[in-house]
Amino acid sequence: MMTSENNLAMQDVTQIFRGAAMRSIGGELRAVDNLSLNLNANPPQIVSLVGQSGSGKSTLARIILGLPRPTEGSVTYCGKNIYALSGKEYETYRRDVQPVFQDPYGIFNPFYRVDRVFWTAIKKFKLTSSSRQGLARIEESLHAVDLRPEDVLNRYPHQLSGGQRQRVMLARIHLLQPKFIIADEPVSMLDAAVRVLFLNLLIDFTQKYGMTTLFITHDLSTAYYVGGEIRVISRGKIVESGSVEKVLIHPSHPYTQMLLASVPVPDPDARWQEKARIASEEEVILVEKPEIEAIG
Amino acid sequence: MANDLAKVVQKKTGIGSPLLDIEDLKVYYNTVNGVSKAVDGVNLSLKRGEILGIAGESGCGKSTLTTALLRLTQPPGYIAGGSILFHTAEEQAPLDLLELGGEALRAVRWRHLSYLPQGSMNALNPVLRIKEQFLDVMLEHSKIGKREALKMIPTLLAQVNLEPYVINMYPHELSGGMKQRVVLAMAIALNSDLVVADEPTTALDVHVQRIIIQMLADLRDSLGMTVILVTHDMAVHAQLADRVAVMYAGGIVEVGDVHQIFKTPKHPYTRGLINSIPRIGGERIRLDGIGGNTPSPRNWPSGCRFHPRCQHVMPVCKQEVPPLLQVVHRHSLDGEHQPLVACHLYSQPGLGGNHDDE
Amino acid sequence: MDRFLLAILSLWRSSRKVQVGIVIMVFFILLALLHTPIAALIGHGTDPLEISVNAPWQQPNIQHWLGTDRYGRDVLAMTVTGLTASLEVGVIAGLLSTVIGTVVAFVAGYMGGKVDSFLSSFTDVFLVVPSFPLLITLAAYTNNVNLVSVAVLLAVFSWPFAARTIRAQVLSLRSRPYVELAKVTRMNAFEIIFQELLPNLLPFIGVGFANAALGSIFALVGLEVIGLGPGNVLDLGLMLNWSQAWGALSLGAWAIFVAPVVVLALLFFSVNLINIGLEEVYNPRLRKTAGA
Repeated sequence: MMTSENNLAMQDVTQIFRGAAMRSIGGELRAVDNLSLNLNANPPQIVSLVGQSGSGKSTLARIILGLPRPTEGSVTYCGKNIYALSGKEYETYRRDVQPVFQDPYGIFNPFYRVDRVFWTAIKKFKLTSSSRQGLARIEESLHAVDLRPEDVLNRYPHQLSGGQRQRVMLARIHLLQPKFIIADEPVSMLDAAVRVLFLNLLIDFTQKYGMTTLFITHDLSTAYYVGGEIRVISRGKIVESGSVEKVLIHPSHPYTQMLLASVPVPDPDARWQEKARIASEEEVILVEKPEIEAIG
Repeated sequence: MANDLAKVVQKKTGIGSPLLDIEDLKVYYNTVNGVSKAVDGVNLSLKRGEILGIAGESGCGKSTLTTALLRLTQPPGYIAGGSILFHTAEEQAPLDLLELGGEALRAVRWRHLSYLPQGSMNALNPVLRIKEQFLDVMLEHSKIGKREALKMIPTLLAQVNLEPYVINMYPHELSGGMKQRVVLAMAIALNSDLVVADEPTTALDVHVQRIIIQMLADLRDSLGMTVILVTHDMAVHAQLADRVAVMYAGGIVEVGDVHQIFKTPKHPYTRGLINSIPRIGGERIRLDGIGGNTPSPRNWPSGCRFHPRCQHVMPVCKQEVPPLLQVVHRHSLDGEHQPLVACHLYSQPGLGGNHDDE
Repeated sequence: MDRFLLAILSLWRSSRKVQVGIVIMVFFILLALLHTPIAALIGHGTDPLEISVNAPWQQPNIQHWLGTDRYGRDVLAMTVTGLTASLEVGVIAGLLSTVIGTVVAFVAGYMGGKVDSFLSSFTDVFLVVPSFPLLITLAAYTNNVNLVSVAVLLAVFSWPFAARTIRAQVLSLRSRPYVELAKVTRMNAFEIIFQELLPNLLPFIGVGFANAALGSIFALVGLEVIGLGPGNVLDLGLMLNWSQAWGALSLGAWAIFVAPVVVLALLFFSVNLINIGLEEVYNPRLRKTAGA
């Protein structure tokens, strides 16, 4: 039985990777370490998850999307474990939780036209009854992200720019009207000018359509820009949480403080005065691109 | 740290004199769909002892410009015109880097011109230990003897915050940040005139970024080295650059002092770029960004290449390419430090140069 | 459908090597498809392959462009007919091995884990076992070999090569974001394999097929030269066998030896050209001019 409250949560989740390449660090990698995270649809909000590469943030995104099953812990939707849902409940979960991925070049199958992502969603979730209705809704969704249907439909992915492609993903989300958006580094591969436009859309979506967004990024200033709540993740654990104003302006955890001290401020009048030094334990030596297998 | 560096190598002289003059540089690519004019008429001047930032987004041509400068252009790319004049410290006539080949080019490399690539790229020979890399480079490109070089290496490594044990390690055992610092140390060892740093902070852990930025500043301050800093990250320019050249669609649209670029950007593209940078702290205002799409180098827009995305577009913008000219403040006589802008908003008919009415 | 044609057209345009390779192959395929009317043309109404109709051991002349063989059969007609048979074997064996190899590759690559380990080891066994000696042994024991059974035999040994390449591609594609998006959009494994992965792998499957087909043709030629092939079907390998058995070269009847060799060499050459051309198209660093 699902509770009436729309809630997406991870409880005590641990994800362990094992593989040949992990031997240099003891045989296993705890990408996510006993982590709990709670997202509420009511009221809709943006929660930023900020961490550096290797912090576990992308693994966390995939776990919450139900892609790999976590080694330990549970992911629940409306109180029920997502791996124990009935057919109907699973369909609801899949519809209510939608992703935006990082790589605008990888999210479209290069073999098909761009509009296929819309029609697949319409078909799988039975959104409309006729193709005319479907087309109308697709056009409405494209307008919602400031794209003209004639620029996008009938085009192949390589004919669109990175910014346009990410916006098509957002249009697909508009079509599905989920309760939760899991955005994994959605603007990291976009140019700065285009980035801001996309973030504006994301903020609007949260407020206009009531979609709680988990905004995953390594860039603290974009987290500040979208506002809301923030969680700082390091080595698979959340080290600090709170509102963006509190955490980014008055950080209490040393890791957050270090992050803030290292981010260059885009103001030539505010240059670093003191010299920083690296603590040598910060240097982590890893073999590049390990071939990893998840356990579980 | 500043004093230690100066102990190791001599600080350069001639601060402020011209070091590099790029004139009308064109680098094109042959593609199956036509010619791609990645760099199309770039003019740039560099003085000794300054850090010049080259800012621009993907597709603007800055990576092509960097590789051309380092003479690393590979087919199907080719130099289609222009010259790169390098003024060496010895009182000779300037060298055209594009004319050099073979021995002459090797002599210039490392001694006068060194390259700091992106963090995870391998500028280091994977089969040599760090000690041997240093010796390889130092013995080949300078007059330092082997014994002296071996003594210098630990000091050099200390300057870039690396422990002495790194000497005997192989490159694959080091993180991206550590490799960056090794290459920096090599540039210091050879006392290169010019360091070309290509996205030096991208793909590095954030706590290393600050170190690298500070080290590059140190190269300029204590050693008088000149740095060309190529990055799309405006915040890095703000922290490090003395002047910034903004590149768009294969050409330079604005060059100016870093404070001027950030506080009073002149070109509409620069304005859009500055108005796309989120900052931490302060009032949260909505940024506008820049609408439209980046044009393709196979098919640049006519006239001013920014005109399809510009809010101030005028008929002349679609027809004529605006030249890069100095903006002259009415009440300033010193033309040296005035910004350069390529925009029709600033040119008035009948007068020489650009006028800034703001 | 138009997407396919466009893709083929762009492939055609992109590389001179691919063009030449395709032209040669298409020429031979046409020859094979039209072998009956061509044979009739050569024979001027009569069957040029009928035994003891024409004079034997003729040198190339107006009537018989490549001369005749021991039984008076027109060598050109023999070549064209033989080409057809060889191609048939190649196509059947190629198809069979491609289908088996593709299925194994997709299942192994997409499922991963134990299934992948098992299937990969299975594939490796076939790769390691020396196929030609085994083929010889099998051929020596089978009495009544016809074309199809030979093709099946050959397919058994050529499927692992395709399986290997395609599995590697499946592995690299299955972690692409669009596959993850498909999973999140509730597509099941079959839909993902057939709709998302398969279309992007068609070039590899096509090339795998061409290579398997060619490999089979040459394996058969190898068998026949030793005399272990189906002796009742006229194909290029058999012609080589006959030329050897009859001592044709010493008799001056060079055509019966040279013709099949030239055809086989050109086939091999054309497939290689296409392979190299495609590799240049897909691997930008080998190109002289940059692609789109």
